Amino acid sequence: MSNSQLALLVLLFPAAGAILLAGRGWRLPRIVTQIVGPGVVWASFIGTLALFFGKVHGDYTYWTWIKSGTFEVPFNLLVDNLSIFMCLVITGVGGLIVTYSIGYMEHEDGPSYARFFTYMDVFIFSMLLLVLAGNFVFLIVGWAMVGLSSYLLIGFWYQRRSAVLAARKAFIMNTIGDVGMILGAFVLFVSYHAVTYFGVFQAAADLKRCPPGLVCILPLVHVQDSPTLELAAFLLLVGAVAKSAQLPLHTWLPDAMEGPTPVSALIHAATMVTAGVYLVGRMHPIFDIATYAHNAVAIVGAVTALFAATIAIVQTDIKRVLAYSTMSQIGYMFLAVGIGAYAAGFFHLLAHAFFKALLFLAAGNIIHAMHDEQDMRKFGGLFRQLPRTSWAFLIGSLSLVGLIPLVGYFSKEQILGAAFSKPDDPLAQAVWVVGAITALLTGFYTGRMWWMAFGGKPSPERPVLVPHEARSVMLIPVLILAGLTVVGGFIQTRALGFGPSAVSDFLVSPLGKMDWEGGWIDVAVGLITTALAALLFLAAYRFYVERSWKTWSASYPWAQRLLERKYYFDEIYDAAFVRPLDGLANSGLRDIEQPILDGAVVGTGRLAMASSSSLSLTQSGYFRSYVLVFVGGAVVAAVLLLIRAAS
Amino acid sequence: MSGLDIGGSQLDASWFLLLSAILFTIGTVGVLIRRNPLVILICIELMLNAVNLTLITFSRQLLNLEGQLFALMSITVAAAEAVVGLAILVDIFRVRDVEDIDELSELKG
Repeated sequence: MSNSQLALLVLLFPAAGAILLAGRGWRLPRIVTQIVGPGVVWASFIGTLALFFGKVHGDYTYWTWIKSGTFEVPFNLLVDNLSIFMCLVITGVGGLIVTYSIGYMEHEDGPSYARFFTYMDVFIFSMLLLVLAGNFVFLIVGWAMVGLSSYLLIGFWYQRRSAVLAARKAFIMNTIGDVGMILGAFVLFVSYHAVTYFGVFQAAADLKRCPPGLVCILPLVHVQDSPTLELAAFLLLVGAVAKSAQLPLHTWLPDAMEGPTPVSALIHAATMVTAGVYLVGRMHPIFDIATYAHNAVAIVGAVTALFAATIAIVQTDIKRVLAYSTMSQIGYMFLAVGIGAYAAGFFHLLAHAFFKALLFLAAGNIIHAMHDEQDMRKFGGLFRQLPRTSWAFLIGSLSLVGLIPLVGYFSKEQILGAAFSKPDDPLAQAVWVVGAITALLTGFYTGRMWWMAFGGKPSPERPVLVPHEARSVMLIPVLILAGLTVVGGFIQTRALGFGPSAVSDFLVSPLGKMDWEGGWIDVAVGLITTALAALLFLAAYRFYVERSWKTWSASYPWAQRLLERKYYFDEIYDAAFVRPLDGLANSGLRDIEQPILDGAVVGTGRLAMASSSSLSLTQSGYFRSYVLVFVGGAVVAAVLLLIRAAS
Repeated sequence: MSGLDIGGSQLDASWFLLLSAILFTIGTVGVLIRRNPLVILICIELMLNAVNLTLITFSRQLLNLEGQLFALMSITVAAAEAVVGLAILVDIFRVRDVEDIDELSELKG
């Protein structure tokens, strides 16, 4: 089998699974769903491994999708180390999570069970399309389709009003991003007359100046070489920000926790929300030229990292804490790719996929054991009762805090080190400060989550007093992810200043070399940050289990309230967009739709009825009267003809 | 040429037209005043054949075959029309015994 066929096959396995399950899944026995749903993802994983070990590299065009004059959109897949890297994360972590779902979703009835796996396979297909696409058209198709799958899965329990609202919110926010993406692709197309990555990047690199075209007329500040590229990069950034739940388009992600927990693990932690990072990495030839947009990426990432970490301190729903921590960690990735440390950003993407999927799945086990209770205040003392899940959760938590030798340390410290090692770049220094503070906050909120749920004595409000450990189909993926979290860091230990750098080396060809070697001072600063974060993790024990220290929120109730309301973002959006639009729609209904549009239609009907009621009297139903009228008419016509002939 | 050659004797074309007109009038009046649906159908056939006669007369007089062709076609259509008409009538008779066409006046405005 040729490499191009293999790449297509990787993409088509989940599609075939989704089609089979969508068409027949609810009629087939449950075991078929259990085999096909995860099986196709694993098949894709094996295909990706073959691409990986075959060192495949190429831009394969399969057929022409649209051709009109000189405009041509090919269906091509770009297989390089970056897309293979993403495919490994998507199918590998995705396979574990979809396998886990076999157990987590077992209480669903047949059709819903098949529906869940259909959606999951659709998602895997869309995500693979997103990362494998070799041109902007299919990038946008994949981009929109992951948004759709996210919508379907958040609203999976459509009987719950809150789930439906959350799904709608996520979809609308993502659509804002999609519009940005599409406009960005248009700008690039209008300027360079190309839709393939190859064509656009070639043209952007060759021109490095404003090309003749519509976009240049726009009054933009003159930056470096090309305002066009700045405009395109900012528009693409809108898409990335919406998909990755960064400020200010972040409000959908916490609500998205209404979906089933495997969905939160797969889509809203490990893969889809990191698509923004992938986008910036993939578009790095553009962002390297468009420096303003590139700096904006770093700023958005840093602000979001800090912002989300502060909110996570006060959340009580275990999944929401994880959701805000996801936002915060993706902020780190944005920060990394924003300062040009692409490889560090993607290493953190990998590390985060491991430990955040682990945390979500372990949290899923706990939620299952607690009969769908998600409030951490009602847990307490789980450590002794659920040892395996608790150990896995602890490993994930410590990786999130960034403890040596877990994967989180190596990836996070490499990002911070890359920022710290640029003393002549004020932006990098600023984001380092923000990143370091965020790391400390991360230590604290993770500690709070851990101690509240697992430490101390069981809460009196706990719904289940003697919980049961999860089934092995749910436990094994968690333990595998825990293992990956432990050993994953050893593939790249540059954050300690020595050792291998497998991820950076692997990504050299698509992303360029990472020019950070980690001097001893960077390593020392990283170790100090980590040690402080770990101390804060322990300090949370005093606050939330022993309660020997007065909690900070008691001293600053206003801060507590501000954080609990998530800086009033939802309220502001509600007042600024939702309610005015609602008002506009309502007044349109009341003042235009009902009196004018409806009135015109109803009036036309009434007029026709009034005018026809008198005419209908002539339709007597008597055959002979019709004939008489007919003959009479013929006679009159004949007489008229005769008169005319005679005259 | 004003007459038609029938069996060696010359007959003026207007006689044929007169016959045709009489037949047509009988048919029309029949449709208008008779009540039995079957008779009405027969009267319609009468009108059609009157027209056919006119067509043939002119065809002969003008030495143009198109008139005869048209008559043939008219006969074909008339046959089809008779089939449909009779089928409808038979169907109606199956449901109820109609003696007067005025009984069938449900479809009014």
